[in-house]
Amino acid sequence: MTQDESRTKVYRLKGLKQRGNPYLWIGLFMTGTAVLMALVGFFWTPCSTTAMSAAERFCAPSPGHPFGTDNFGRDILSRVMKGAGSTIFISSLVVFFSGGLGIVIGALTGYFGGLLDEIVMRFTDAVNGFPSILLALVMISILGSGKKNLILSLGIVFTPSFVRIVRSEFIRLRDADYISRARLMGVGRLRILFVHILPNIFSTFWVSVMIGFNNGILAESGMSYLGIGVRPPDASLGEMLSDAQGYLLRAPWYALAPGLTIVWIVLGFSLLGEGIRQSSGEASDGR
Amino acid sequence: MEDRVGMFPKNENPMIQIQNLSVCFGGTEAVKNVDLEIARGEILGVVGESGSGKSVTALTVMGLLSESGRITSGRVIFDKDVLIESGERLNRALYRRYQGQRMSMVFQEPMTSLNPTRRVGAQVEEMLMLHTELPRQQWREKVLESFVSVGLRDVEQLYNCYPHQLSGGMRQRVMIAMAVILHPDLIVADEPTTALDVTVQNQIIALLREINQKEHNAMLFITHDLNLARRLCHRIAVMKDGRVVETQSAKDIFENPREEYTRSLIQAVPTRVRCKARPGESATGTGSAVSGEIRRPVLEVHDLNVYYQEGTNSLFGRRKRRRVVSGADFVLYPGEVMGLVGESGCGKSSLSKAILGMNRNVEGEIRHFSTRPQMIFQDPYSSLNPSRTVGWLLQEPLRAAGRLDKSRQMSEADMRAAACDMLRRVGLDESCMNRKPSQLSGGQRQRISIGQALITRPGFVIADEPVSALDVTLQAQIMELMQRLQEELGVAYLFISHDINVVYRMSDRIMVMKDGEIVEQGDTEELFAHPREAYTKLLLQEDLE
Repeated sequence: MTQDESRTKVYRLKGLKQRGNPYLWIGLFMTGTAVLMALVGFFWTPCSTTAMSAAERFCAPSPGHPFGTDNFGRDILSRVMKGAGSTIFISSLVVFFSGGLGIVIGALTGYFGGLLDEIVMRFTDAVNGFPSILLALVMISILGSGKKNLILSLGIVFTPSFVRIVRSEFIRLRDADYISRARLMGVGRLRILFVHILPNIFSTFWVSVMIGFNNGILAESGMSYLGIGVRPPDASLGEMLSDAQGYLLRAPWYALAPGLTIVWIVLGFSLLGEGIRQSSGEASDGR
Repeated sequence: MEDRVGMFPKNENPMIQIQNLSVCFGGTEAVKNVDLEIARGEILGVVGESGSGKSVTALTVMGLLSESGRITSGRVIFDKDVLIESGERLNRALYRRYQGQRMSMVFQEPMTSLNPTRRVGAQVEEMLMLHTELPRQQWREKVLESFVSVGLRDVEQLYNCYPHQLSGGMRQRVMIAMAVILHPDLIVADEPTTALDVTVQNQIIALLREINQKEHNAMLFITHDLNLARRLCHRIAVMKDGRVVETQSAKDIFENPREEYTRSLIQAVPTRVRCKARPGESATGTGSAVSGEIRRPVLEVHDLNVYYQEGTNSLFGRRKRRRVVSGADFVLYPGEVMGLVGESGCGKSSLSKAILGMNRNVEGEIRHFSTRPQMIFQDPYSSLNPSRTVGWLLQEPLRAAGRLDKSRQMSEADMRAAACDMLRRVGLDESCMNRKPSQLSGGQRQRISIGQALITRPGFVIADEPVSALDVTLQAQIMELMQRLQEELGVAYLFISHDINVVYRMSDRIMVMKDGEIVEQGDTEELFAHPREAYTKLLLQEDLE
């Protein structure tokens, strides 16, 4: 029975391969363009992001200003490029920080279990009990606002979700036959953790990194929107949205540009995550 | 068996006919032009290795083929009614009338084929509710009757039990009760005994035979075990790669198999016939040569008790200590194979884990005279790290050994050479080095597994059911490989199996285990010829023809 089931599964996956992996390709395209735009924005923008011009306030999109201009007459395209850059940058650091911490804590608690596990898990339960933005707000109000503190507080708030995922994978794998064998061979504990088990959780982990990255982008935008992240005159997508809401009827393009950029990035990374999950599922499902 | 009917008259109207049936999954044909028919009162065995299409055939007959499967040719005729015709949509309404009432199925896994949240009595009653007009008051009586008919005891109590409260054998009996309660004309049994222990297996076989004689119905018995088919079936069809290669009466197929493949299947079945080049002989040969010296054991176990901690999930819960192995006492000498046989749950695996230090909750004495004994596991799919290449996997034990003991450190090139050498020894070629386990078959994986266990040249290796998850032909190959490597490397095995024939073939000495105790141990020949314990006799006799 199981044999036949697994057969049909293989066929289904083969079918997928023939069709290619659309999630992966569309996701790559969307994230690729967003990241490229942000990267270029670090070094060059069509206009200055801070140059104001009273004459060019609220210009509708035109060849000179493809996304139009804002209430100070600044070029929105340039500001979106810069803003996407800082949003992606902050979100990457947040994921890097919380993902790294999540791997270490999750691996240790999942593999060894015991009292440490119990304590850490109750702590993550407590953290998960609050909305993440609220928690980050509290931390910012303690640490003070600014980019660095934003990254730190979002990083800490996002860590529990990574811990949970990594931990459950380690629990699943710690009693696998091949890990028992590694122990019998005399492989050291740290090597078992990070050389034997860790590569096996990457497919799951990457998906959660993509989700975490998206949450990071949304959280950063949200906090900048509330005025406690990136401060003007620096651009950030959330901060632009916050400015734009006052002129929603007068200059709808002002809100549209950063809003759609957020949607574009988040959708891209979601698709990329799904694509990675499918392709790695295909690779490891040789059974 | 005496009661087995040799041949069935051909002219009798067949209960079910499968004509030229082909089933396709995606682009691949799983069943190719299969022709089978079963007469009333006949048991037809369909034998084949996994992937040969036998289960797909059964599911198709029952109308349970999954959505991804497509019937590309042929038809199924049940008592003159055409149930399935290729090109036509499955008539579900028609099928619902037949399923359960006139044809029923017994599945392999009694654990999962019963609903764990409902009492077994209610589950069997459902058959009556769906298919009969019987008044509600009589259901219970009828169910109890059927329980009795399949040899269950304390039926009143059983009626209110949940599946998890029953043993595997009892669950399978409940499944069979469910299958026979409406006295169907066809019973399809898909590996009904594979998940069960040998002694229970035999009871179920006897029960199926009894039902067949009493009810005079047709039975399609699917198994990978040729011996089992021989004991139960009147006729046997051998399947390979979706085709029926040969159909003959059970007696004829063993006496003069027509096809090469059938012959190889029969030869692969572990029997009590010793192969000529058995290393056992050579081991006893060397044994007598060195009998002047004192043989130093590689493993001594004295009065070992192994415990398991129960209820460790909760933080404050009281922990119960359960004894799973008691008073184990034996020695293992270099280059010998010690067989350990017993039913599942008797403590075989617990004993081996204790020996290897994976369970430290023990009392007694374990003495190793070997560096880092290794273990070969049953499931070749879970015993190799899927994210690493074969080369890496084979070298990892060497790296680990080098890190623990500086004197055993090897250069990269030496390790690679050792891995290549081992790969050749286990019968694979160097092209496998860069492959990942997912690119290998089950048999190949088990070979790598064995290579990985032996590459550091441990004094002894524990093999926990190393061939149980494999097909018969593969089983024979792996056993041969293990014997050859043992001769080449002089390693000792503690060979664990539930299959007494497999143990017989491999071992110099045998221990029989029951309920955590080693009830008997002795020389293989001696033990088989003159078993002392009643349980050993039972085990031996159960498996004899």
